[in-house]
Amino acid sequence: MPESAFLEMQNILKEFPGVVANDHVDLQVERGEIHGLLGENGAGKSTLMKILYGLYSQDEGDIYLDGRRLELDSPQDAIDAGIGMVHQHFQLIPRLSVAQNVVLGEREPATLFRSDGESRLPEAVRSNGVVQALARRFSLGLDVPTQRIDDLADQYGFDIDATAKIWELDVGQQQRVEILKALYRDADLLILDEPTAVLTPAEAERLFDSLERLTEEGLAIIFITHKLNEVQSVVDRVTILREGKNVGTATVSEVTQADLAEMMVGREVLFNVEKDGVELGEPVLQLQNIHADNDRGIESLSGIDLTVRAGEVVGIAGVSGNGQKELAEVAAGLRRLTDGSITVGGTDLTGAKPKRFVNNDVSFVPEDRLRYGCAEDLSVMHNAAMKEFTDERFGSQMGLDYRELAAYAEELVEEFDVRGVRDVTETNAGDLSGGNLQKLILARELARDPDLLVANQPTRGVDVGAIEFIRETLLEQRTDGTGIVLLSEDLDEITDLSDRILVIYEGEFVYETTPEAADRDRIGLEMTGGASTDAATAESPQPIATGQDGEP
Amino acid sequence: MNVEIDLTARERVPRWLSYATPVLTVLAALAVSAVVLLVIDVNPIEAYRLMLIETPTSEIGMADTLITTVPLVLAGLAVYLPLKAGLFNIGAEGQLVIGALAGSWVGLNVSLPGVALVPLMLLTAGIAGGALAAIPAWLRAKYDVNEIITSLLLSFVALQILSYMVRGPMRGSSGNFPQTDRFSAAATIPELFMRVHLGLAIALLIVVFTYLLMTRTRLGFEITFIGSNDEAAEQAGMSRYKVYLLVFILGGAFAGIGGISEISGVQGRLRAGFEPGYGFTAIPIALLGRNSAIKVLLASLFFALLFTGGTNMEIFLGIPAALVEVIQALIILFLITGEFFKRYRIDFTVERDPTPTPSETAGGDA
Ligand SMILES: Nc1ncnc2c1ncn2[C@@H]1O[C@H](COP(=O)(O)OP(=O)(O)OP(=O)(O)O)[C@@H](O)[C@H]1O
Ligand SMILES: [Mg+2]
Repeated sequence: MPESAFLEMQNILKEFPGVVANDHVDLQVERGEIHGLLGENGAGKSTLMKILYGLYSQDEGDIYLDGRRLELDSPQDAIDAGIGMVHQHFQLIPRLSVAQNVVLGEREPATLFRSDGESRLPEAVRSNGVVQALARRFSLGLDVPTQRIDDLADQYGFDIDATAKIWELDVGQQQRVEILKALYRDADLLILDEPTAVLTPAEAERLFDSLERLTEEGLAIIFITHKLNEVQSVVDRVTILREGKNVGTATVSEVTQADLAEMMVGREVLFNVEKDGVELGEPVLQLQNIHADNDRGIESLSGIDLTVRAGEVVGIAGVSGNGQKELAEVAAGLRRLTDGSITVGGTDLTGAKPKRFVNNDVSFVPEDRLRYGCAEDLSVMHNAAMKEFTDERFGSQMGLDYRELAAYAEELVEEFDVRGVRDVTETNAGDLSGGNLQKLILARELARDPDLLVANQPTRGVDVGAIEFIRETLLEQRTDGTGIVLLSEDLDEITDLSDRILVIYEGEFVYETTPEAADRDRIGLEMTGGASTDAATAESPQPIATGQDGEP
Repeated sequence: MNVEIDLTARERVPRWLSYATPVLTVLAALAVSAVVLLVIDVNPIEAYRLMLIETPTSEIGMADTLITTVPLVLAGLAVYLPLKAGLFNIGAEGQLVIGALAGSWVGLNVSLPGVALVPLMLLTAGIAGGALAAIPAWLRAKYDVNEIITSLLLSFVALQILSYMVRGPMRGSSGNFPQTDRFSAAATIPELFMRVHLGLAIALLIVVFTYLLMTRTRLGFEITFIGSNDEAAEQAGMSRYKVYLLVFILGGAFAGIGGISEISGVQGRLRAGFEPGYGFTAIPIALLGRNSAIKVLLASLFFALLFTGGTNMEIFLGIPAALVEVIQALIILFLITGEFFKRYRIDFTVERDPTPTPSETAGGDA
């Protein structure tokens, strides 16, 4: 081959039982470029990257990096070859410091055993192979890394203190730690699987700046996303997968977003949804003076009042970490109140168990789909029926008719176009691609025909075609009289779907508007507390400096 | 020299491997044990033939195996059920012992005809076992206290209570032994065939009950879900509290019934140290059979065979009891290790002539 690219993946085939995830895929990435990887949910993007990172082994095909053929049996092999990966679900340990997380798995031996460092041990002992092997396994040195990590962070403009604990960092900073982890291991190729799914637009901008700096240093970056505007703004070339096949690579400056969407989905995608007027009904949710703490025991909701009526979509906008997650959990009955009251459809549910909320027809789409949304190790059937299995149609009294359950799960899979399900009783939820899992969760929550739906980031990680479908479904649900609380970091989503928009800042609603009257700049300003700086600081003595979510 | 050992999780367990592992591991354990036997001048082939072939094919051997299966399978289920809900009940031993004790007390102190007395004894044993098991479950559900430690420690409490009772309040009139009087005929579980008592039928019923519970009921669905992701389960309205208590209490009750069956069906009187730690053997049984109650039964049969076959080796070949235990332990150890290697792949790389180690050759997974 004349002049081969920096990374060459050739003819990659990967089959899972009943699913061809990668069907003879080729991928070429050059040094110094940001290469986009696009495709519908389940198109095989993550699988291809996991092969490249040694997490899966391909059934056929070869990988060349810098002209060398790679045999990747484990992530360690990939790391050794200079490949780094940032997973969508961070793999950091909250209680440990940045430095400890960066060296985890890398295992720098303690200074005492380091061959280059100052040490009291005689050279002969230190350089002994067995001693080295043992020292690398059983001792951990943290002093040198701290220095190197600080240097690296400086070099790329990351504002990270190596001694800070992970839980003190916000999501964007955590992601930078993940990137540092790869850089620390001298990565030449960095894989980012949907890095912006968890970031606010401003944080995403920062990430892009860092990425551009990295490519200037000659790194190659593979970037997976479902957001076409991001592709347009940072990506150089893009490869599109559809149903496991490579349908083409394009130079981004030569195509439009609509072209990309069509290449991905195989049809034209509507970016706008039609919204009919709906007669508002009785209140389905009333929150009064809600106070609640976050997981770290710091007050994160400080006096929320909210009424949602049947047939109404209330959009809640805000910078992540200002109480959205807690608000959603309060409304779903998962978080204890420190003060205030909740009424759902006329019933007082203050302090009630989640079960009462479920029984009062509250549906919940959690932000963290792996933690609250599903059981990864159980089948699609179990997960689809997670709430409905108590229904009479699945058996009388104690008994449970698993055949009916399976049929019900199949219906949902069919209706919501959840792909990659070979058999609802055998495919596990954890085997689904990220977006398809999200669709399954939505299907479960919507199929119950709830009176109140609390949806936190409902379209996170789903492809453009599916976003269109989900938005339409949410609006249909609204027409049927469901009251919806919509929390989203995507301002377009909020303005497109909501009847009323509330801006949350430091645990309080600071601004209310309607989509028609909405002024984006004003909303943006309110989200950062800009318009009421004085008032906000006066009211809350402890500004939430590290108030972003501490969890990975 | 530089030795790298890498463990990698298998993406998929090849089908042949999942069938071959138990067989291969037992063979491997026997091969290692053979060395031990050779050292003490016993022909391993003869020893194994006695343990694994003659024991289950002779009438006496088979009867003994079935009798031993009863407490083993019931204690096994006592570990299995909580395991399904994501909990470790390490205290089946205590639940078994306390059941035997409570049931014996009823058997010795209540006078009723057998048809009423035996069920009453089983019921009391079940309640006692369940009550003891409820403590760690409640502490875990309410205060998140680790159930492994509490259930284990409660076992020792139960063993001490037993020891006190048979030396004190419940000691029989015949001499100074730490044991009770013999049970009356009414307090004895009737025999089915060849010394095998009705307890076997009860145990089989409980296996079927557990199997149906897990595969056909809403409760089974909840147990499975909570065992897999308790936070999602709570979000869906399931109750951790209810399920944790339920699996432990049911399990404890099963173990308690297993305890009294052994006393009233086989031994006829309660003694201190009346059983060789069936409740602890229940742990590997449940781990091996964790996929279904039926597999727990199969694993129990196998372990019962190890026990009776081991006794036969002691009696007929004069192999010291301690060595028999070593062989049994080796088999358990190999089986559990085998399970591990079914799921992980191990790679050895030996590099000779190491270059000064650059930092990136360090092992371990990111
Ligand atoms: N471990 C697995 N076992 C079985 N099937 C799997 C497994 N991992 C992935 N799949 C299947 O392979 C296909 C490709 O999945 P993959 O995760 O690569 O999709 P993706 O392009 O990353 O999608 P998304 O945008 O939703 O993240 C899907 O149909 C998925 O169900
Ligand atoms: Mg993916």
